[in-house]
Amino acid sequence: MPLTDLVARNAIIPALKANGKKQALHELATKAAELIGQPDRAIYEILLQRERLGSTAVGNGIAIPHGKLGKLDRLFGLFARLDRSIEFDALDGQPVDLIFLLLAPESAGADHLKALARVARLLRDADTAKKLRESRDADAIYAVLALPPASAA
Amino acid sequence: MQSLDTVSLVILLGAMLLLVGILSSLIAMRFGAPLLLVFLLLGMLAGEAGPGGIVFNDVQTAYLVGSISLALILFDGGFRTRLQTFRTVLGPSVLLATVGVVVTTALVAPVARFVLDLGWTEALLVGAVVGSTDAAAVFFLLHAHGLRLRPRVGATLEIESATNDPAAIFLTVLLVEILLLGNQSWDVIAVTIARQAILGGLIGYVAGKAIVLFLNRIGLQQGLHAPFVAVGALVVFGLAASLQASGFLAVYLAGLIVGNRPTRAHNSIGVFLDATTWLAQIVMFVLLGLLVWPERLVSSIGPALIVALALTLIARPVAVFLCLAPYRFSLRERIFVSWVGLRGAVGIFLASIPLLVGLPAAYLYFDVAFVVVLFSLLVQGWSIAVAARKLDIAFPRADPLPQRVELDLPGQMAQELVGYSVAANSPYLRRGLLPSWAKPSLVVRDERVFTPEEAESVRQGDYIYLLAPPEKAQALDRFFVDMPPPARPDPRLLGDFFVSGDVTLGALAEIYGLQVAPEHTEKPLADYFAEERRRPIKQDDTLLLGPIGLLAHRVEGGRVTTVGLRLAEPDDDVGAQSLIARLKRMARRALAALRG
Repeated sequence: MPLTDLVARNAIIPALKANGKKQALHELATKAAELIGQPDRAIYEILLQRERLGSTAVGNGIAIPHGKLGKLDRLFGLFARLDRSIEFDALDGQPVDLIFLLLAPESAGADHLKALARVARLLRDADTAKKLRESRDADAIYAVLALPPASAA
Repeated sequence: MQSLDTVSLVILLGAMLLLVGILSSLIAMRFGAPLLLVFLLLGMLAGEAGPGGIVFNDVQTAYLVGSISLALILFDGGFRTRLQTFRTVLGPSVLLATVGVVVTTALVAPVARFVLDLGWTEALLVGAVVGSTDAAAVFFLLHAHGLRLRPRVGATLEIESATNDPAAIFLTVLLVEILLLGNQSWDVIAVTIARQAILGGLIGYVAGKAIVLFLNRIGLQQGLHAPFVAVGALVVFGLAASLQASGFLAVYLAGLIVGNRPTRAHNSIGVFLDATTWLAQIVMFVLLGLLVWPERLVSSIGPALIVALALTLIARPVAVFLCLAPYRFSLRERIFVSWVGLRGAVGIFLASIPLLVGLPAAYLYFDVAFVVVLFSLLVQGWSIAVAARKLDIAFPRADPLPQRVELDLPGQMAQELVGYSVAANSPYLRRGLLPSWAKPSLVVRDERVFTPEEAESVRQGDYIYLLAPPEKAQALDRFFVDMPPPARPDPRLLGDFFVSGDVTLGALAEIYGLQVAPEHTEKPLADYFAEERRRPIKQDDTLLLGPIGLLAHRVEGGRVTTVGLRLAEPDDDVGAQSLIARLKRMARRALAALRG
């Protein structure tokens, strides 16, 4: 299943500028707040809460910050390609340049977990990550995310 | 002083002979040759016709020693037979062990009568002597080649060989008695058979129960359990034989009962019996070797070979196909079981009975048995692995089973210590797999003993000792088999996300919407791992927390520091959808068909 059911075309940031993890998360929270009409402070706090358990950087320059947001009515995804890779406390120590933010409604339960697993597994695919890094604009990124995992892999 | 000198000399010579016998086992092991044959050859070499030149023709002594030895060997055989395996293949094995022996004997007899120029009873005796397959030979050769046979085939062969000795012994003793008594009427013979079997079985059963009862009720000195059992076996044998019952049957049954009951000092009894059996076999065969005149073998080798060929190519296959006919075995399996009709020690021992009781032309039986056993062990024994492969009977991979050490824990019988050397590619080390009833208790590393906590994580080359119920000990083997590593790591074991081991279950539950018991909310993941596993954690150990799989991604000092989260199987719903879609399509097609 492609990831475009989670990410809308307008929820893609092709060249995010950030100097560090906190700033990146803050930028993402602001953008998300804009799109779903929720306070950015609440979103930022939720993301930080998860980061405190351990970094959501899964390796190979990819991070998937996530959390549950009470007032959301559906799963919400936001993708950002960073201009310059930043330190994200990744397990493999690599700086991060691809970030997928996933917010889930309180009631999502198993759907939340499945969506997260799907995102993690698609982005773990080296070919998909390479294509995302080569994409310069939102449309190109959206096209890669729209690829079914079979052909993306 | 003259007699004292003789005694010393006999002791010296006898002990030296035994010592050489024990050492010769090293050579035999190396070549996979049957040890008993080596002992026999040793006796021959030491005898009057060989370079040893020892004159020994005390048939009475040989009979006494031989009987004691066989009683012990049979008891040990029963002791080691697991009734549990018995149950699964009882039918085919018992048929082979009884009807099979009779059919084999009956089919060998005409050939023996013709080539050896004997009467019918004598010819039948030849058949009976070579009628049973040999447990020691079958067990040794099946295991020495690391063959993993289909359980049904392997168990059938092993149990047949372990249970057909009484039938052959019975036939032999009976035929010898008939020959000794001269012409007896058949009804007398029938009554004799019935009494021997029934009384022998009864004595064996009761005596077996009695030995178990005594062993568990009476607090003997620690070292006396095993001798008690061994001497008890001889008492059973002597009692049955003196009551005109089958002593061999009785002793075998008693062994079967003692071996399959939980008793005190079970393992030390096993070890003692093992040693006793070895000694009995060496003594018995060296003595028999001393009795044999090898040069006479040359004259009977031709006819004996014909008997061997008839046995291998006609009698055994016919008996096997007949006995296995009611059961579901494939043609290949039938052929394999036919081919693995290994003859061994028992045949030679049985052949010595006519010799020991002084039947006319008794050497003939011995010569024939000797050649048949030699033929069987050389031709069949060494071709067994090839046959298994050609007939596609063995599993493709032959994992040599790990060496298992079992130690009794005096004071109770429910648990024992089971020890293994930890191999690099054992499922235990690779994936931390262990059944819940086995509890790691000791780790021996570099000649030092640790508790599992002290040893932290178990490594390759360690020895691990686990507490386990004795009857399940064998099932632990497969956790310690050294298997080749799989082609690539299991992708399911890879974590999607990672968190610190210090994260509490409650924090994780809150973010991922999991249900956690209130008393667990403050529990760190590392503690959760430790409590659930009850042993030092190793990398890639997994646990479940609701729908989430937890993976010990990084471990320091037996404690998880980084936990991988396997959130869900994203393909689950896809599979369900496609199934529903398929059902829908089928329903639509069915509807269309109905309409059209």
